[in-house]
Amino acid sequence: MMRLLSLVLLCCGATLFAATPTEKAFPFPYTQEELPNGLRLVTIPTGFPNIVALYIVVQTGSRNEVEEGKSGYAHLFEHLMFRGTPRFPAEKYQALVKTAGGDQNAYTSADITVYHITFSKEDLDTMLMLEADRFQNLKYSPEIFKTETLAVLGEYNKNVADPNQKLFETLAETAFARHPYKHTTMGFLKDIQAMPEQYEYGIEFFNRYYKPEYTTIIVAGDINKAAVKTAVGRYWGKWQRGKYRPDIPAEPPQEKPATAQIAWPTATLPQLAVAFKAPAYSDRDPDWAALNLISYLGFAENSDLYQKLVVQEQKVDSLGGFLSPSPDPYLFTILARIKKPTDIRYVQDQTLATLQKFSDVLVERKQLDTVKEHLRYGYSLSLDNTQAVAAAAARALRGQRDLDTVDRLYALYAKITPEDVQKAAKKYLVDKNRTIVTLTGGK
Amino acid sequence: MRALIVLLLLSSAAWAQIRVVARPGKSALVDFRIVFLTGAAYDPPEKPGLANLTATLLSEGSTRELSHKQLVDAMFPMAAAVTSQVDKEMITFYGSTDVQNLERYYTLFRTMLLNPGWREDDLRRVKDQAINYLRVSLRGANEEELAKEVLYQTIFDGRPYGRTNVGSISALEKMTIGDLRRFYELQFTQQNLIIGIGGGYPQGFADRVKKDFEVLPKGAPTSRPMATAKSPGILQAVLVEKPTRSVAISMGTTLDVKRGDPDFPALLVTQSYFGQHRASGGRLYDRMRELRGLNYGDYAYIEYFPRGMFRFEPEPNLARQQQIFQIWIRPVPPETAHFSMRLALFEFDKLIRDGMSQEAFERTRSFLNKNINLLIKTKQAELGYAIDSLYYGIPEYSTYVKSALAKLTVKDVNEAIRRNLRATDLRIVAVAQNCEDLKKKLSTNPLSTMTYNSPKPEDVVEEDKIIERFRIDIKPESIQIVPVESLFE
Repeated sequence: MMRLLSLVLLCCGATLFAATPTEKAFPFPYTQEELPNGLRLVTIPTGFPNIVALYIVVQTGSRNEVEEGKSGYAHLFEHLMFRGTPRFPAEKYQALVKTAGGDQNAYTSADITVYHITFSKEDLDTMLMLEADRFQNLKYSPEIFKTETLAVLGEYNKNVADPNQKLFETLAETAFARHPYKHTTMGFLKDIQAMPEQYEYGIEFFNRYYKPEYTTIIVAGDINKAAVKTAVGRYWGKWQRGKYRPDIPAEPPQEKPATAQIAWPTATLPQLAVAFKAPAYSDRDPDWAALNLISYLGFAENSDLYQKLVVQEQKVDSLGGFLSPSPDPYLFTILARIKKPTDIRYVQDQTLATLQKFSDVLVERKQLDTVKEHLRYGYSLSLDNTQAVAAAAARALRGQRDLDTVDRLYALYAKITPEDVQKAAKKYLVDKNRTIVTLTGGK
Repeated sequence: MRALIVLLLLSSAAWAQIRVVARPGKSALVDFRIVFLTGAAYDPPEKPGLANLTATLLSEGSTRELSHKQLVDAMFPMAAAVTSQVDKEMITFYGSTDVQNLERYYTLFRTMLLNPGWREDDLRRVKDQAINYLRVSLRGANEEELAKEVLYQTIFDGRPYGRTNVGSISALEKMTIGDLRRFYELQFTQQNLIIGIGGGYPQGFADRVKKDFEVLPKGAPTSRPMATAKSPGILQAVLVEKPTRSVAISMGTTLDVKRGDPDFPALLVTQSYFGQHRASGGRLYDRMRELRGLNYGDYAYIEYFPRGMFRFEPEPNLARQQQIFQIWIRPVPPETAHFSMRLALFEFDKLIRDGMSQEAFERTRSFLNKNINLLIKTKQAELGYAIDSLYYGIPEYSTYVKSALAKLTVKDVNEAIRRNLRATDLRIVAVAQNCEDLKKKLSTNPLSTMTYNSPKPEDVVEEDKIIERFRIDIKPESIQIVPVESLFE
């Protein structure tokens, strides 16, 4: 990364980092600041020429859908945000984005909703103005609201062909009793079908979260930081703070292992999800980082279990471990797709035995170092263009609105010891924290 | 003139030199993109899927010296891999590394391609993977990609482009290491090879790579199997019977225009205006999703674009001799499937009759002029597009498109639309439950009255009165119903 950073510094004249670049996992000289209204601004000169990526991160997702019968609204709002304002109705907004050649989209996760657009640098001022307008002045009729709920149902319909979707839905619903992580970002089907009649609630959801104190603007690419700051102040500075503070129900401790079985109506391969309640993301406490290292140590392509089940015995055709950097405690999950239904139990036993070993035996330091190296190179290889840099920054803001977390996390990984790994395994990978879901196909 | 020379070089039978596309830069990464001008169109007729299986065995198997486990162990700390992509005319191996790991990574990359392990247990694994892709991922879990694959199969039926790249299950089951080795020896030649290398590699490195690959056989001049399918001149439908909640639809016809042809820039504008991939603001998207809430999105294509439900940008190195024009209607509820098809065809018919307005043309042209820079934002994309330009015999893609757009008028576009697109000459593919019912509707044209969950503007109500009666003239004998289990067997 040394050469890339030198290039960035040369281009932008920025020398914000005192530390040597190799110590920084996020290698670009970014600046974070907060406007008086609570809006955060992150500017990242990347050194890649001509292109600018504008990512707007709103701290709301399906995690914020706390009321019964109201799942899926964060995602619905992602759709509604494209429905225009009095000054720029949808067609006019689209025409301006088109003329600028903008590459535009949005996504919703459990924790954040992200609006992003990538374009040529000369259009930055126009884009900041347009986006500020829709965040502050969105207006749509009940008829438009109803039509958009059908597009959301259409999205559900296109997803539903995939058994993975059902597996994730069931896993969440089985593992969680109270916390909104109980439902996926799409929401429950019955709630999606009831959306057309919820115009008023839709507005309430918008008024709660589409406020400066929940929003971060990331501007990355070929930029002048001072000019960006001036433009953001001009267009976004008058946006008023809100008052709403969410009361997200905490998940009570799980008392005993849980299971669920899904009978998929058509032919498919069996799938197995073995999940454990995991800690919330932290860049200071070692448990989350240690568990993430376990997901690679135990289940990555070079792991003993992967080699045994996928390469040698060939009983499984995909295997992986996953830990989400969630702001509230979520799941550490192992997913396997198995070739024969008769092998499900065997694969489950092998998975549990692999996990148990992390509690029983200290991992070798060399193995641990290899995973740390893999994570570090994997991250830097992914930052090969402005859009990817801005997207990575947006993902890092999933919990706190603070990009420094990337460097803190990689510094924490560097310090994790075999003892830390064992401690995390003993604490979290225990029977009473466990949920197992299996899916088997029909004819 | 320059384009002509490149074209001559590429198609010259005497050409046996490895071609190198080098894009050095100041990045800390080094990118490799190794393309062989061969692919699924070169599968022997009784062995569909051979090219794909061979490429997968190279990228996910082993080498003569290293087992799969040793290979993975060596790649893992660098977070690196070699990925393969197979299409009809191109097999691509690509990967990137931090420059600090260049020697280690390149040694592995080179060995994987030049000294494959040809192990039986690796073959068994990648073969299972291919069969499960067809049976489970494509047939079982992705109705949208399924409809697209069936559309291509139908249009190119009986020709080298008429089989899915992954092949057929019965042919895959029979393939042996010997089959793969023969394909490799015949097709992985210097004659077919283009080496793409970009990023912060040291001086002289590209020459070294070229020299290393000279161990491959020079290769005899390959005769290119012609893809040319003829359009039927009428409407036809293939309905795939599958238990499903909604109906996935794709429709299309042969398009005798590809990059480098005079009408390509005009049709690029048309595609963007009518249905820019995964973007709001396209005509189909506006009329079907935004205005009527029929589904999640509706798009149009003039080039092959697989895996569109997972990607926002096209992958390079899917260059083909013949393309199709395609309309993709994302899943609709069964009760509105007939209306949705009518609306798409109504809009398509309108596009051909009325063309684009001056204002829409200007806006779309401005979009493409700027958006093209975003398509080519990574070194991998830069290499991929440059290799495609070599294939098509055109200058760098962005230069080619921008200079053509500068000269283009709305009149050119509307004439190109009328020259190349025909609303009465299409294959329609739908994946649906109760196909007999859909067949009946498509062949008898009953009224498809629409009801909405909210009042619509007067002009939409009026337009719906036309669309609900819009004739789709398909004779019952031109509609085929296919059970999903029979596909790719």
